[in-house]
Amino acid sequence: MLPAAGEPAAGDSWGMLACLCTVLWHLPAVPALNRTGDPGPGPSIQKTYDLTRYLEHQLRSLAGTYLNYLGPPFNEPDFNPPRLGAETLPRATVNLDVWRSLNDKLRLTQNYEAYSHLLCYLRGLNRQAATAELRRSLAHFCTSLQGLLGSIAGVMAALGYPLPQPLPGTEPTWAPGPAHSDFLQKMDDFWLLKELQTWLWRSAKDFNRLKKKMQTPAAAVTLHLEAHGF
Amino acid sequence: MMDIFLCLKQPSRMVDSKRMRMTSNFQWILLTFLLLYLMNQVSSQKKRTPHDLKCVTNNLQVWDCSWRAPSGAGRGAAYEVCIENGSHSCYRLEKNTKIPALSPGDHEVTINFGSSISKFTLNEKDVSFIPDTPEILNLSADFSTSTLHLKWNDKGSVFPRHSNVIWEIKILRKKNMEIVKIMTHNTTLNGKDTVHHWSWTSDMPLECATHYVGIRCHIDDPKFSGHKEWSNWSLLKNISWSSDSQTKVFPQDKVILVGSDITVCCVTQEKVVLALIGSTNCPLIHLDGENVAIKIHNISASESSGTNVVFSVEDNMFGTVIFAGYPPDIPQKLNCETYDLKEIVCTWNPGRPTSLVGPRNTSYTLFESFSGKCVRYKRAEVPTNESYQLFFQMLSNQEIYNFTLNARNPLGQSESTLLVNVTEKVHPHTPTSVKVKDINSTAVTLSWHLPGNFAKIKLLCQIEINKTNSVHELRNITMKGVENSSYLIAVDKLNPYTIYTFRIRCSTKPFWKWSKWSNEKQYLTTEAIPSKGPDTWREWSSDGKNLIIYWKPLSINEANGKILSYNVSCSSDEETQSLSEILDPQHKAEIQLDKNDYIISVVAKNSVGSSPPSKIASMEIPNDDLKIEQAVGMGNGILLTWNYDPNMTCDYVIKWCNSSRSEPCLMDWKKVPSNSTETVIESDQFRPGVRYNFFLYGCRNQGYQLLRSIIGYVEELAPTVAPNFTVEDTSADSILVRWEDIPVEELRGFLRGYLFYFEKGERDTSKMRGLESGRSDIKVKNITDISQKTLRIVDLQGKTSYHLVLRAYTDGGMGPEKSMFVVTKENSVGLIIAILIPVAVAVIVGVVTSILCYRKREWIKETFYPDIPNPENCKALQFQKSVCEGSSALKTLEMNRCTPNNVEVLETRSMVPKTEDTEIISAVAERPEDSSDVEPENHVVVSYCPPVIEEEIANPGADEAGGASQVIYIDIQSMYQPQAKPEEEPENDPVGGAGYKPQMHLPVTSTVEDLAAEDDLDKTAGYRPQANVNTWNLVSPDSPRSTDSSSEIVSFGSPCSINSRQFLIPPKDEESPKSSGGGWSFTNFFQNKPND
Repeated sequence: MLPAAGEPAAGDSWGMLACLCTVLWHLPAVPALNRTGDPGPGPSIQKTYDLTRYLEHQLRSLAGTYLNYLGPPFNEPDFNPPRLGAETLPRATVNLDVWRSLNDKLRLTQNYEAYSHLLCYLRGLNRQAATAELRRSLAHFCTSLQGLLGSIAGVMAALGYPLPQPLPGTEPTWAPGPAHSDFLQKMDDFWLLKELQTWLWRSAKDFNRLKKKMQTPAAAVTLHLEAHGF
Repeated sequence: MMDIFLCLKQPSRMVDSKRMRMTSNFQWILLTFLLLYLMNQVSSQKKRTPHDLKCVTNNLQVWDCSWRAPSGAGRGAAYEVCIENGSHSCYRLEKNTKIPALSPGDHEVTINFGSSISKFTLNEKDVSFIPDTPEILNLSADFSTSTLHLKWNDKGSVFPRHSNVIWEIKILRKKNMEIVKIMTHNTTLNGKDTVHHWSWTSDMPLECATHYVGIRCHIDDPKFSGHKEWSNWSLLKNISWSSDSQTKVFPQDKVILVGSDITVCCVTQEKVVLALIGSTNCPLIHLDGENVAIKIHNISASESSGTNVVFSVEDNMFGTVIFAGYPPDIPQKLNCETYDLKEIVCTWNPGRPTSLVGPRNTSYTLFESFSGKCVRYKRAEVPTNESYQLFFQMLSNQEIYNFTLNARNPLGQSESTLLVNVTEKVHPHTPTSVKVKDINSTAVTLSWHLPGNFAKIKLLCQIEINKTNSVHELRNITMKGVENSSYLIAVDKLNPYTIYTFRIRCSTKPFWKWSKWSNEKQYLTTEAIPSKGPDTWREWSSDGKNLIIYWKPLSINEANGKILSYNVSCSSDEETQSLSEILDPQHKAEIQLDKNDYIISVVAKNSVGSSPPSKIASMEIPNDDLKIEQAVGMGNGILLTWNYDPNMTCDYVIKWCNSSRSEPCLMDWKKVPSNSTETVIESDQFRPGVRYNFFLYGCRNQGYQLLRSIIGYVEELAPTVAPNFTVEDTSADSILVRWEDIPVEELRGFLRGYLFYFEKGERDTSKMRGLESGRSDIKVKNITDISQKTLRIVDLQGKTSYHLVLRAYTDGGMGPEKSMFVVTKENSVGLIIAILIPVAVAVIVGVVTSILCYRKREWIKETFYPDIPNPENCKALQFQKSVCEGSSALKTLEMNRCTPNNVEVLETRSMVPKTEDTEIISAVAERPEDSSDVEPENHVVVSYCPPVIEEEIANPGADEAGGASQVIYIDIQSMYQPQAKPEEEPENDPVGGAGYKPQMHLPVTSTVEDLAAEDDLDKTAGYRPQANVNTWNLVSPDSPRSTDSSSEIVSFGSPCSINSRQFLIPPKDEESPKSSGGGWSFTNFFQNKPND
């Protein structure tokens, strides 16, 4: 599923990488996707959480490479451009009270929608990239992100939530046109990576919260499923 | 005028310089007024007539002349102007007049105004030519390229002649109209109105600031001789960018050449605080409003994503990306060839990288001019160091192609061309599907597949034939190309039953390039009958009854297959006897034969058939005059020569074997043609230092005769052992040595002699080192007669040890040495003399002594054994009177250091019994006595040492404290009275004066006694027995106190310890008590010696 070897990550711990790759490898067999003999959403939430951590780690190396490709000042540590054209990107930052008040379904739906959008943008990024190495890294990350999306879908399915349907026309498209200058494009790329990172942080928190919640009696889930059945 | 002159002259007469200067100034003012007056007079004269005629022209056809009207002439006054221009023509005009251009030369112009007539001379030279002010028809801007396009009309129709026009165009920028550039533009007037276009590319994007353009002209008519002047500047036209109040940076995504300069500006309403190129800060150039620009000089090549330029305003940031790169290099090494005559592949090298990637990457177009077809190459990513390639489908019936490769990127384009005849540029694909089939054992067919349609051309293929352990062979084959790509060829001249490896490559004719080698195909050719019979030899067994037949296995080339078996048969005139088949690994057969003349034949068989038989005669012709010769080889072989013998009709055979092997011995043999007289025998089995026997047989009448027997070495080595030798006989001056032969295996060469060394030397001391170093004391004998087995060495010394060494040598070197030590026999006469002489001398000395003693016996007795000893001679009783009288401190006789051998304590409270031998303690060093106190002569030690008595000694502590120890004088025997204690003793030794103490008690008693001594110093001065003083007083008759009273002068002898039966002396110094316990002994004696 993942070409684990050859990951161009600087200073990463191979042990951790190998471990996480194993997690990814087993991703297709996420129990959450398999409703029969379901051991509950607990393990799949855990795996999704692990995956977000792994993606965080993977993104760190990808962002380093990509920002270097964008050139200075984008690769400078204190570079913080205004969020100009990146308004279409799903925002990860949310008021803490709002975040706390989210229910599981909403939480998962937001995650799912965000990553669907981000993945689409990321694929556009891949098409734009000028060097082969960068394209490989991006393609690798896209695959991983696709895995995360599948994992979230699995968790949602395990909890009995429907997957959000993409509204026709709202599907983000990547259209590098004359209206979009290279500089604005770079700003968008920068923000895409930044949002992606923030989303991964948020997801880690989301799934951690969800995980803790699920550790409390599984009866709640059963009840919920019954309720859903009605 | 005279007045002025006078006035001018007058000041010169002035003497006073100061006054003169004032006067001069005044005169100047006066002069000026005068001049003004005169001029006014003249002008007023002029003003009354038309004056100042001036003519200008703007089209060279009409002159516009004007003059100044006379004073008083009102508006609308009419003038009559007459011009003498060949004909006389007059015009009635008002003030200005337009007259047709006059021909060159002076013309008289008369202007009549009323009664006044003015005459002027008018020449073309005086006329100014000022073109009309040009008018800008249109000024437009291409913002994307920062180019201004200017359009104007030259109005050339008004000019009669063709003439050159210089247009001067000025560009101004910003609202304060800074002149950016003034440029000229040359055109020609052609009699028609022409609209001219002129473009200018700004270094700064046009959006950054308002740009203004003005134009004027200067017409250079060659025929016009008057003043040609610039026209006036046209009205300025401007170009400005209509900002939509949104901040923008210009230019956007610009691609520029590396090394060029570029200005980037930010059109904004906000204040720009910072501009960055990449991460480098840039100084700002302020334009109108808040607009700013930065200038980048000599830009370097961009990274793949371009160079970022960022403008920061307070809370925002704007930017652009600039791509600095190079225009495409000329495509290098353009090469077009075909693999299969179906498709042309053109490859090239892009040359210098452009630093532009992605959409700005170089695009290539391959254009073929004959057919007009083109192929495009567009790849987003440029692989480094990889040549590009494009495929062009070949057209039927076209062989010659003219290719133009065009490279293009935003910075420019370049191209490279190539004209090819593709049939001459065929680089075939690698042949595939190589197959081999048998024809026979020496020929095969080789087939392969070569993709492509080569029907029209010839192919040149190369077949590499590799035989194991052999050089590879290349065969070139020319064949006609076929359409179906399958090729077949026969390969002959192969060896049967041989593994061949074939591979093929092809090219075309004319040659262009070889294809790659095909994969190797291995093939084993089929077997054929063996080409010849095996090389055969025979040996009679040692008993002479059996004939052993040997043969060598056939080489691979001769066997032509796998040899399965051999057939051996022997035939005589009468019968033919055939042995059963002998299977391959065995190469020997034994036949029982009577001594008849047989012919043995051996045939080798493989799966295909039998070899021709090889025959050998069994008969051995005897040779009588055979002698054994020696030969030495050249390291790897040995050369044998013999004389030509016409009787030898068939061949010579040399067989050899290791000489140490038993008969019949055969290692190998070699057959040599009968006409040769020498051969070199070489074999891998030969080893240096091994003796081989070589036998040369000659073949005659189908029988072999041993011609020569040779022993030899391929290389001689030094012997490995030394000859064993023994000493047969030894005399006083000679030794007879005998040695044994060295075995042949250890000799390792032909023995050339022995070296015998001998020298004087003992077994332990003399090591025969460096025998070859030519030591003079070593005698060497070289024995070259190898039959000699003994050696007598003469002229030796009697009863001397000789070191003998023997070693053998061959041409290969010296063998090891064997040595022996031999002592020659004694010379008996010398021995007798050596005994007799000392005996005789001793006897004579004895006799003489006896006689002398007898003669002087009286004197001897007097001297050595007097009957009555003379007391004066007794040194012990000698007193030095003078000294004794002067100082009573001196002793004449000292008897001390008598340590009791044993001290016996009869009663003890201690449970610890102790017995000590005092002699051990007496050995303790004594401090030497002061030599000034005692004369050495007086220091005679007389002591009494009682017999050893076993004693028990009390615990010293208890002894002293309790004072209960019983001390008994067992046996005091003295020939002297105890003497008084010396007077100086208390002074000298207040502490040590504690008196005698047995040394075995010292460590404890001394401390205790010290305390006692403090109290009772006077009483106990001198000798003090360690026992209770009272007890001592009571018991001892020799108490120091009593003697003290009786004799004060001399201390005579020493009292004995109460614990011992020995004389004691008072300690002379503060010697530790143990020193006082010295008994007479050897050690004491020696210690006293220094005092003597």
